[in-house]
Amino acid sequence: MKLNLFDIQGFVARGYSFPRACYLLAEILNYKEGRKFVGRVTERVTSAERWEQSKPLSTLNIGFTWTGLRKLGLPDATLLSFPVEFYQGMRFRNRILGDVGKNDPANWEPIWNQDMHVWLAVYAQTEEELARRSDEMGRLMQETGGARLIYTQQAGLICVDGKPTSKEHFGYTDGFGNPDFEGVERDTIPGQGKLMPDGKWAPLATGEFILGYPDEARELPDCPVPYLLGINGTYMAYRKLHQNVASFRKYLDEKGKQYPGGREKLAAKFVGRWLDGTPVELSPDHPDPDLVGDPARNTNFTYGHDPDGTRCPLGSHIRRANPRDAFGFNGELINRRRIMRRGLPYGEYTPDDQPARDEDDHGIIFMALGASLFRQFEFMQQQWIEYGNDAHLGNDKDPLVAYHDAGIDKFVVQGTADPGNTPFVCGGLPNFVETRGGEYFFLPSLTALRLIADGTVDPR
Amino acid sequence: MANQNGKMYGLTILSPILSDPKIKISHDTALRMYLQNLDRHERSPFTKVPGTHICRLVVMDDVVFVGSPAKEEHLKSKYLIFNSNLYGGVDQYLEEMARKIPGVVDDIWSHCVGYPGVTDPRAFAAYMKKCQVETTFFFADVNDKTVELTLKALWTKVEFTAFIEQNQGRSTAELQREFAAFWERVRTSPPPEAGARLLIEGQATGA
Repeated sequence: MKLNLFDIQGFVARGYSFPRACYLLAEILNYKEGRKFVGRVTERVTSAERWEQSKPLSTLNIGFTWTGLRKLGLPDATLLSFPVEFYQGMRFRNRILGDVGKNDPANWEPIWNQDMHVWLAVYAQTEEELARRSDEMGRLMQETGGARLIYTQQAGLICVDGKPTSKEHFGYTDGFGNPDFEGVERDTIPGQGKLMPDGKWAPLATGEFILGYPDEARELPDCPVPYLLGINGTYMAYRKLHQNVASFRKYLDEKGKQYPGGREKLAAKFVGRWLDGTPVELSPDHPDPDLVGDPARNTNFTYGHDPDGTRCPLGSHIRRANPRDAFGFNGELINRRRIMRRGLPYGEYTPDDQPARDEDDHGIIFMALGASLFRQFEFMQQQWIEYGNDAHLGNDKDPLVAYHDAGIDKFVVQGTADPGNTPFVCGGLPNFVETRGGEYFFLPSLTALRLIADGTVDPR
Repeated sequence: MANQNGKMYGLTILSPILSDPKIKISHDTALRMYLQNLDRHERSPFTKVPGTHICRLVVMDDVVFVGSPAKEEHLKSKYLIFNSNLYGGVDQYLEEMARKIPGVVDDIWSHCVGYPGVTDPRAFAAYMKKCQVETTFFFADVNDKTVELTLKALWTKVEFTAFIEQNQGRSTAELQREFAAFWERVRTSPPPEAGARLLIEGQATGA
């Protein structure tokens, strides 16, 4: 099957790997001018069409909240056909997502507790181009009178020694792999699709990530009416995750002194990758630059032969978020719980040799895309990040990104009799990551954008 | 024996609820309101009934017609369903219920037909057993152990995790000494009270 890449937003089909981005949130002022604004943006939206010669200088993509679609005048019969979690929005799903206590939406940036309608994403090669494109959006809002800018979020790759890297603020190399799915013209990368009975990897069904196509259950994902509004679109969970860099470093320093494998290995056990990205499952004792640099190997592993987690801990971040074959059934349980990740750090990076502060404004913009927020993103967050039962870890949570209430959570590093790999219990986990905001968005196809702009969404 | 799964007993009792058109609030409504406000989990009054692993109370108004080809049927009465996964003998369990939580039992079963009261625990047990139906098949979501042993095991697990965290990396001799002291404390400690929250010693419950 071949997807119509001219109709799918580029951001949905792939990560752009541009060095910087700007996310804009806007309010639609009224449906008449609001549609005009959407129309003008649509003319500029980047599709998933392949870039034959070279990358453009910048890209533009758009998404809507449920209230945004209502504000744009979509018919009630259409609005009522969207899934309930999208209708409710992220802040009303906080108990499912574990956004409680300090992470409660009441403590988010104030903007996230007011109505917002449109999300615009600009990615650019240069700072100047980013500013030009963002300004252009502001101008379109003014010219059409249809929208008002209410929030701007800058993000960009962390530069170390003047060079852009794929590191995040804790120092881990991030962004390895996204699930392959059918219809995207590229070779399947081993480890990134679904595991087949013969041990090879194949692309997942398109319907896991894009509406309008069969999914892994050979069913069509829930799609709003009319079908034309849904097909080639998808949903996105957008989260602003603050990182307590000082707490992370302090905790690693303390526990790293006690852990026989040392600080760096403990950091690797937390995530399931060494700081440079080497998968712990493949190289449990040391980072391996050759392995990281080889796309045929750096996401190509399974956990079936490591049922006790003595190489990659059962509770490590990447084993939780994508358990591969760890729960048996040759990974089939996992195939319906995958997400496409897009993400970029924001804020200033504090080099290792400089004192870090928790309160500095730095973290990651995390975005998860998929055909069902409920079945994919929310399930993963609730069951695998904020809970441990599936991994036989009781109510232990993800050590790095979960909400750790009152400092009583623990992370267990499974081990062996080998003196450098002894079992270790990390108690009193603090909150390394805090939720500062987030929302659910629908990212329509180009066709659907034109329907919205023209006011011709017809559910009959 | 279908009510038995290992040493666990799956008790199912269907008590017909009184029907009295003359009272202001019907018995099923009053019962439902009472049950909905009854404390749950660790605060449930049933934690005081020895042998209770898990129990549940439901008001059943009628059977639901799911559509053709099923036959449409209706119950002659509304029922209170009482399920309990318990350890030990049924007679003793029901008698203890009358002795340990007589007020709660009265509040609940006084809405049911033929309830004899709690003054004679044996009469209450006999009444309950009259309303018993065979469980036929049940899944006991607990180990085949007493409530006390289960609670002690869970508590020991929490304590042992804390012990490891506090003592990991120590020399063999220190570890042996610390473990001996730990073991003595664990061995001689009584099991936590049924319904107690299990937390590492000295840490706030947040409850």
